[in-house]
Amino acid sequence: MDQAFTPLVACREYFGYFPAVYRAQTIVLRLLEAEISLEASILYGDSSLTHSQKERLLLMLASGEGRSDAATAHYEMLRLFGEPEAELDRLVTDYRHCGLPAPEVELLSFTLKLGSHGPSVGAADIERLRQYRWAPETIMEAVLITAWYWFHACVSIGLGASPDFPPAAIARPVTATHEESNLGPDWKAGPYLSAPELVPDQFPAISVFRDLFGFVPNVFRTQAARPEVIEAEAEALRLVLCAEDDLSRRQKEQILIAVSAANGNSYFVALHSEILSALGVPLETSDRIAQDHRRAGLDETDVAVLDFALSLAADPFAFGAGDWAKLRSGGFKDEQIIEAVAMTGLTKFLNTVQFGIGAVPDFESRIALPAIPRKIAHLFDTRHRLTEGETPFDPDADAIAKVRSGDSDAFEVLVTRHSRRVYRTLLGILGSPEEARDAMQDTFLKAYQHLDRFEGRSKFSTWLVSIAGNTGLQVLRDRKPLQSLDYGGADADEGLRPRQIRAWADDPEQLYSKSETRSLVEQGVLKLPAKYRVVLMLRDIEQLSIEETAAALNLGVPALKSRHLRGRLMLREVLTPHFAASAKEETT
Amino acid sequence: MISCADFMAAIGDYLEGDVAAEVRVQLEAHLSHCSTCQVVYDSARKTIIVLTDSGSFDLPESASKPITEKIMARIRSQQRPS
Repeated sequence: MDQAFTPLVACREYFGYFPAVYRAQTIVLRLLEAEISLEASILYGDSSLTHSQKERLLLMLASGEGRSDAATAHYEMLRLFGEPEAELDRLVTDYRHCGLPAPEVELLSFTLKLGSHGPSVGAADIERLRQYRWAPETIMEAVLITAWYWFHACVSIGLGASPDFPPAAIARPVTATHEESNLGPDWKAGPYLSAPELVPDQFPAISVFRDLFGFVPNVFRTQAARPEVIEAEAEALRLVLCAEDDLSRRQKEQILIAVSAANGNSYFVALHSEILSALGVPLETSDRIAQDHRRAGLDETDVAVLDFALSLAADPFAFGAGDWAKLRSGGFKDEQIIEAVAMTGLTKFLNTVQFGIGAVPDFESRIALPAIPRKIAHLFDTRHRLTEGETPFDPDADAIAKVRSGDSDAFEVLVTRHSRRVYRTLLGILGSPEEARDAMQDTFLKAYQHLDRFEGRSKFSTWLVSIAGNTGLQVLRDRKPLQSLDYGGADADEGLRPRQIRAWADDPEQLYSKSETRSLVEQGVLKLPAKYRVVLMLRDIEQLSIEETAAALNLGVPALKSRHLRGRLMLREVLTPHFAASAKEETT
Repeated sequence: MISCADFMAAIGDYLEGDVAAEVRVQLEAHLSHCSTCQVVYDSARKTIIVLTDSGSFDLPESASKPITEKIMARIRSQQRPS
């Protein structure tokens, strides 16, 4: 390979080595060129986010998806930038409570939401970031980085590239699984970010779009603030989609449609159905490809390519050598298979950009996309993966092993790491700092004594929070031995009938200072009966999954869900007088 | 067309983002014309945001070290059963 190949030089300069995922593609240099140019335009240059901030987003996306190889690479990169390991560990274990400034936490949450479920992103999410004073160009950048993450992830998985660093056990962040609840019905249509007018003469890339589409689609127009990215995207479309050397243009357009449909992206389904129609494929055929490619009347080889692409896009953890073998035995050359991988990655990239910026459709959708099963909607859903008996990545694994082998001092790492979490849970249940501190000692002592019972099926932190929850409840029982905590059923109506019907302020968190908000929430939570409080603490504050919370409290999932909803609605009642739109005037 | 009672029956799953696409469409149709449910839903959603973001019940940084030392002293004083 020519060492002076320009993209290679830029790439090596940025990373300090040539990543394996690119080495695996040297037989189709144009793909390599397209990917590295895109990567360079998004990642290498100076922009509104620092390199550390960008790498943090990538680290969180990778650890959120349970991809320890990619997470390790970004972790190493951040260490290279001088970030202390202890802080990185805190970041990946619990980014919301690791001391990052609130706007950074918000940007991470947005990125994780866009990365895990693009269709759920709406104007409200962007408004929220704007309220945290993020500039449109920075938000755009976070969108591009998330989109790039997915391009890279698809290609790495699709090619089975070996990791550049030995993957370390890296935690999955405590993602807000209810994050989607931020999503209301999309009251406002896109685009979410205003873009400068695109002046055709200043954009050489325009000619690529004109050749390709006959016009400049909105998804590219909306990115006009980042001309170098548009150039790289145009180049990627030219090199990956338009080249006819390996797969045909038609086959690649079909991948774009089928994978976009699987991602729930109707924008690209509509756009490329029109393109295919210009290439002579009837719109009805494209509709059927989006709905069920096996019933679209395609020939066997086209179906095989789409099977492959959809397997990579929809179920990457199951994707592997078997998928390659099927295409190879169908007579496909490796160059063609690599191209199918790159095309799938490019589609995921484009879909994510569109979800993030809310580009308005150029063409009306002809079909309603089929309901997307959760597994596909959450493309690389780690929870799906974990049900198959694998263990989660746990940053505590080393320390636990040391304690088990007799090194009790190693337990200090676990106490330091998790003391805040345990304390929070206990204070939320008990309401008294003194009692919470005592119960915290008991919790850690119990964990130490029963460490052998920890089987590693959940993360250590989850197990610990369960112990804390039960320790807290026990203290309450001991405190009032004659009063039951009422573990019987709730009144059918308890908490469920809304009483306060007053609209909340647009951004309730802006009404008060951080410490005032905090104190209002604390007082509100402590007003609820203990059985609801403990659920809110475990599920909403500590963000255990529904199943984990149910198991911790020895409840069935339906009972837990009911108690959780009641708790949330009761808290809503208690907080409404403070956070209603007119509340501030009333109280001041 | 679903009723307010139907909406309230589904609001838990809806807040969790855990409803099938066709149910979601119905819920959103209801929201678009029922201002009461809209207020309840929107404020419930914001309740969760405020709750998770508030940093409530946090351990003061200064309190962390002494407690850790106490816990470790108790642990060192006893043998972990094997």
